[in-house]
Amino acid sequence: MIKHQERVKKWKLATEKSMQRFPERKERFETSSKFEISRLYGAEQENYDIEKLGLPGEYPYTRGIQPTMYRARYWTMRQYAGFGSAEETNKRFRYLLQQGQTGLSVAFDLPTQIGYDSDHSMSKGEVGKVGVAIDSLEDMEALLREIPLDQVSTSMTINAPASVLLAMYIVVAEKQGISPETISGTIQNDILKEYIARGTYIFPPKPSMRLITDIFAYCKEQVPKWNTISISGYHIREAGANAVQELAFTIANGKAYVDAAIEAGLNIDDFAPRLAFFFNAHNQFFEEVAKFRAARRIWAKLMKDTYGARNPKSWQLRFHTQTGGSTLTAQQPDNNIVRVTLQALAAVMGGTQSLHTNSRDEALALPTEDSARIALRTQQIIAHESGVADTVDPLAGSYFVEHLTDVMEEEVGKYLEKIESLGGAVAAVEQGYMQREIHHTAYETQKAIEKGEEIIVGMNSYTLENEVRPELLRVDPTLGEKQKEKLTRLRNSRDQDRASARLEALRLGAKGTENLMPLIVDCVRDYCTIGEICGILREEFGEYTGV
Amino acid sequence: MNKKIRVLVAKPGLDGHDRGALVISQALRDYGMEVIYTGLRQTPQQIVAAAVQEDVDAIGLSCLSGAHNELFPEVMALLKERGAGDIIVVGGGVIPWEDIPFLESAGVQKIFTPGTPTIETAKFIEAAVRARDGYPASIGMEPPKKIDHIGIAVESLDEVLPFYVNTLGLKLEAIEEVPSQNVKVAFIKIGESRLELLEPLSEESPIRQFITKRGQGVHHVALGVEGISERIGELKNAGIKMIQEEPVKGAGGASIAFIHPSSAHKVLFELCDKTEIEGGAS
Repeated sequence: MIKHQERVKKWKLATEKSMQRFPERKERFETSSKFEISRLYGAEQENYDIEKLGLPGEYPYTRGIQPTMYRARYWTMRQYAGFGSAEETNKRFRYLLQQGQTGLSVAFDLPTQIGYDSDHSMSKGEVGKVGVAIDSLEDMEALLREIPLDQVSTSMTINAPASVLLAMYIVVAEKQGISPETISGTIQNDILKEYIARGTYIFPPKPSMRLITDIFAYCKEQVPKWNTISISGYHIREAGANAVQELAFTIANGKAYVDAAIEAGLNIDDFAPRLAFFFNAHNQFFEEVAKFRAARRIWAKLMKDTYGARNPKSWQLRFHTQTGGSTLTAQQPDNNIVRVTLQALAAVMGGTQSLHTNSRDEALALPTEDSARIALRTQQIIAHESGVADTVDPLAGSYFVEHLTDVMEEEVGKYLEKIESLGGAVAAVEQGYMQREIHHTAYETQKAIEKGEEIIVGMNSYTLENEVRPELLRVDPTLGEKQKEKLTRLRNSRDQDRASARLEALRLGAKGTENLMPLIVDCVRDYCTIGEICGILREEFGEYTGV
Repeated sequence: MNKKIRVLVAKPGLDGHDRGALVISQALRDYGMEVIYTGLRQTPQQIVAAAVQEDVDAIGLSCLSGAHNELFPEVMALLKERGAGDIIVVGGGVIPWEDIPFLESAGVQKIFTPGTPTIETAKFIEAAVRARDGYPASIGMEPPKKIDHIGIAVESLDEVLPFYVNTLGLKLEAIEEVPSQNVKVAFIKIGESRLELLEPLSEESPIRQFITKRGQGVHHVALGVEGISERIGELKNAGIKMIQEEPVKGAGGASIAFIHPSSAHKVLFELCDKTEIEGGAS
């Protein structure tokens, strides 16, 4: 060891000397989170504390939540899709399943996400644009037609009205003759990050948290294989946060849900195993890998040590990853395929459970079928050709990656303390704390790009003068009208008295404290629309209007 | 004209992606404008009411949901209805290229696509508001950063190089042929700038014509700029005549354009933008 130290000393001297002739590219190298990056890691390090890492499948899960990881089964390749009508989206889903995709992920249009029917005045121009339009059970039946719900797992990006869409899914399964106990999937159901970053909130925080804990309790009994929430850093990152902010705010939100559920009288081991997470993967490869590894360790410690969970399933942070939409450029869109590949690789090296790879044209419009296929193929090439999935946590023991993992954990800890001092995540959101932090980072990033300190290939350097403009997907512009007609037909043909009675029962429930999930399932079954259900809740709970 | 320009940044539609709206608001403020941000989910009616109420000069619409074709024209129509048709409207977000002509025909002055530097948007709004108010769009150009190089016309590189390299002891960086100008160029590094020795390759070469008319000697001075297209625009607005109205590729891959000597008191100036090849603020 002494001999080695001598060598290191010599190397340092020699390096500094050569740097006088060949200076380094920058004074200071840093990650997206502004962690300084040293010239070299490991030269002076003693053996790494192996206890801190643990083993795969064991607490604190730095190295992954399963002992064999992808040697047993690849991550779930789950492409987020949905546009236009339920019928069109159903076709895209069946195409993706045929192409080897292993799980579904539903994108809903904005009126659905904000609890408006397609014929509401706020829905003008929005019907079917960023996802599929769902107004009632009828649309959900069309969306899932001929898809065996006992065999695929379905992830639904739905938050404020998550209970309504989950209720519809359950009723469609029943109609297919499948028991709710056997269906599996995920609802995003993460309202806090809607206030912070994504914007599709409806109700104020308090009743929103009630809806969420109602779902936790209901699913524990009725739909035990369902992931009741997907606590999401993805949108926080897209809104401009850096890696450490993404992780810190996500974990802080996670704590808030756990606290709310405990306060609602639930036992931690009854709901914690069904909590899932959703992270972003950006370009800085090593920092991203470190972020995923640190996330697992932080959550495991929190659940075991702070909350006293006993079931190891409660300690395990399972997560979905999507590559970074905001890293894609509208210029030279084919370059985005390369970005997506790097990001997907980071997610896999970080031990993700499922992955969505973005399509090259997403800075321009919704992906075309060609682009969506290349995105899926990217994952398949990583899985089948690169060999990175053949051993568990292949970057463990890299001096640099372990260092970044430690720093990430430390820095997240500082943010968690700060948020705690503000009164927890809900209070911090209400004070606009996370929103301000994210905006600050977003603006700094923009300035760095405009000054050329941050190079975006094809956008602020290596640009082309005459770009070829790719073909883009167009959504049927008459869909809004078709959805409206469908709604009118539905309202004329359903049993109106039953529907009204269901809605009144929901109103009563909302005034009291009982679990709202069974009431919502009843509403859905009798073809009450999402706008009617959310309308009742809007009247009872009020609406959130921003900080 | 010292009154600050007032801008309403508005988010029509239901999407909650306000990163762009917030960043542009901040950038316009830093540029010296007063900015009011509406917050999410604003109907065209609410936006127009706010614009009239706040007496703004311009509105920036940001929409990432795909509803722009419905919502932007509605804003334009309502503005006209309220007698506020002179408010400058620009837009941005995820907007496909093929929708831009439609939106501009509806009265939106300009759509900025993703990746547009915020400064460009700020300058556009400033120029549009100034033009509307009857002022010249701009008083001058953003100053050049440095002398990029001095161009010297020579009969033969082989003859003159020994003077520069051996006698003066300067470093010869490269020799390159620029077919567009019919010249062979030697680059000689001196401090942060360069000497460019220009040898004509044919009788049509502008350098040949220069030597025939005036003999060997200093040919032009090149000013290093960033954002050459905007700089050209600024000069043209100031009434300066350009030899090239669009940037062309010059030696070393730089984007260049010459100012006509008649507009520059008989000196031939070149604008030279190397941001693209040297990667940013050099």
